[in-house]
Amino acid sequence: MARPGNKIIQAKMVLLGDMGTGKTSLVLRFVKGQFLDHQEPTIGAAFFTQILSLTEATVKFDIWDTAGQERYHSLAPMYYRGAAAAVVVYDISKMDTFTRAKKWVEELQRQGNSNLVMALVANKCDLEPKREVETEEGEQFAQENGMFYIETSAKTAENINELFYEIAKRLAKAFPSKPTGMNLNNEVRDRRKLSCCLG
Amino acid sequence: MSEASSYPPIEPNTFDLIIIGTGLPGSLIAATASAVGKTVLHLDPNPFYGSHFASLTIPELTSFLNSHSTASQPQSSTTTTNSNTSDYTILDLASSPLYADVEISSYAPETLSERSRSFNIDLGGPRVFFCADKAIDLIVKSGAGQYLEFKSIDASFVCDENGRLWNVPDSRAAIFKDKTLGLTEKNQLMRFFKLVQQHLEVSDHDNGNEGTQDSRISEEDLGSPFVEFLKKMRLPPKIQSIILYAIAMADYDQNNLEVCKDVLKTKGGIDRLALYNKSVGRFPNASGALIYPIYGHGELSQAFCRRAAVKGCLYVLRMPVLSLLMGKESGRYKGVRLASGQDLFSDQLVLDPTFTVPSPPDSLRKSVEGLNLRDVKGKVARGICVIASSLKPNMSNFLVVYPPRSLYPEQNTSIRAVQIGGGLAVCPSGMFVLYFSALCDDAERGKNLLRAAMSALLKIPDSENAESSSEVQNENAEVKPTLLWSATFIQELITGEFGYISSTPMPDGNLHYSDLLDATMKLFHEMYPDGEFFPETASPEDGEDEGELSLES
Repeated sequence: MARPGNKIIQAKMVLLGDMGTGKTSLVLRFVKGQFLDHQEPTIGAAFFTQILSLTEATVKFDIWDTAGQERYHSLAPMYYRGAAAAVVVYDISKMDTFTRAKKWVEELQRQGNSNLVMALVANKCDLEPKREVETEEGEQFAQENGMFYIETSAKTAENINELFYEIAKRLAKAFPSKPTGMNLNNEVRDRRKLSCCLG
Repeated sequence: MSEASSYPPIEPNTFDLIIIGTGLPGSLIAATASAVGKTVLHLDPNPFYGSHFASLTIPELTSFLNSHSTASQPQSSTTTTNSNTSDYTILDLASSPLYADVEISSYAPETLSERSRSFNIDLGGPRVFFCADKAIDLIVKSGAGQYLEFKSIDASFVCDENGRLWNVPDSRAAIFKDKTLGLTEKNQLMRFFKLVQQHLEVSDHDNGNEGTQDSRISEEDLGSPFVEFLKKMRLPPKIQSIILYAIAMADYDQNNLEVCKDVLKTKGGIDRLALYNKSVGRFPNASGALIYPIYGHGELSQAFCRRAAVKGCLYVLRMPVLSLLMGKESGRYKGVRLASGQDLFSDQLVLDPTFTVPSPPDSLRKSVEGLNLRDVKGKVARGICVIASSLKPNMSNFLVVYPPRSLYPEQNTSIRAVQIGGGLAVCPSGMFVLYFSALCDDAERGKNLLRAAMSALLKIPDSENAESSSEVQNENAEVKPTLLWSATFIQELITGEFGYISSTPMPDGNLHYSDLLDATMKLFHEMYPDGEFFPETASPEDGEDEGELSLES
């Protein structure tokens, strides 16, 4: 999938938003193309990887879901660390989820990563008749906070690919840097013999 | 607390296990109990993860130390209430202090407050991992490793009586290059290492094979003090010191066996050498034996809590627990009452051991015994310094060990210091955090140990309000880093306890987590005799294939 010679960007992307706004559904629609009408609150599936190839770069997303830790506002700082992109989700049919979305944006801004690509996602736009949050409200808030705004429906798949492609494009432009270290998965397989130090 | 009451009520209200405190042992229990299918609620009164194992900003650290220390311990105003209106006897919880003699000094408040959010200072430091530690194996096995990144500790040093720092060699080449060793000494060293290597190879492959007796260290030697074995092998004193204090990490003076509280036996010493040896080269980009987690050790609790959450554990921070609910008839633990007023129930409860029940009625004394008889195993003195430049030019992360008697004649325990730089995201770049720890019997001796090590390494401004830090630079030829901020305190060493209500161990005086891990594993097995401590799961690497979907499982 990755085009040779293309720059490869590994990007951590975090999902934020209140319980039931459709964070997991958005990702499942994106990575698996599926939608469940009654998606259980997130347990057991909280980490996805997906690759998007653009002409200018190949973006490898590590998508972090909240694992339910947002329920009592107990997300760990680890969750935000090193994130290149953040997707803040609210449900257009519930005003309080928009109010909470603003709080998540504040929380993100407190993390102080100026390179962060932020998207404000007005999800469940298939619920137009029950709409409580007007498009203009969302757009205005996004603009004021340097985010891009998009209305999506994980149910109908509307704008889902557009959301992720837009993020990938912005990442390719910004190409953020993050502190790099070693992770513990690439252990040296054929270890040097005992002799390396002792003799 | 006002925030706590604004939470939606916690659902459900009954769990297999409630854990209070997100310190590393509590987080490990949460993760492993959730992995074996228990329903777990994990609470913490603090707004952050990690409890006494957290990494904090300077203001957070200051207020946490003060609120858990003797000096400012608020007197519990509520007494045990025996409410007759419910089915439960309600026992109010109080917290007893873990820290004492907390002294915090800031020499550059403005510089620090501007960048206060860039700090992640370990409460339980100094700590580093050997690459071959069983803690590292557990981090990998549990899946917590996918949330963590580490960097190398560049070097380790041992201080001699003359204040000179000696590099701890991590390879044979380093030993041969050492010009301070004569040829005879080098030969003795080689002989020693060859013997150790043969011994380990034989022990690894076949136990008790008669034909291999010669290449093994005798049982008699294995049971004798390590220091005597090293002398018998005629190793130079400097090398002895490096092996005893910077590789085997002995705390007490091994050269004075009459007063030494913890004599390291040859068997234990050889095991530590083997661990060191296995650590060097385990990971391709680790340059030495030791590594440190980016953003500090508080990340470990967060990683295990995330593992627990992925397995269904429910998390509520900022939620103090006020009291225990005890069955009227049985006198047994039933549940807890939260600051929000909600009552929650569970089969088992795990608390951090700083909680006590001030005056339980006689009928219930037995049930809460473990909580009130705290098993205090001595004290550890800890010091944290923020400095404006590195102690060693061109080096940012390293360990310095001051063996007993190396700083002053009455120094009876090792002092370990670890410097960590901004590259590990524990402080703003350009600054460094220096951690000290030493075991001690009482606060005064503990403070003396810290002071001696700090003044050996740092320039400590005279007055507390040293605004004029620029003028101390004149004349002084020796350039020691300037101290920006420091905290020193004495922490009690408390181990965990199993009972109707279990308690988790508190940070110990070691650099490693092995003892804490063993204690936590033991506690878990006592709670769930059939449960496996972190069952084997699919490799977390599976999702790395391109285009593949990876689910945490």
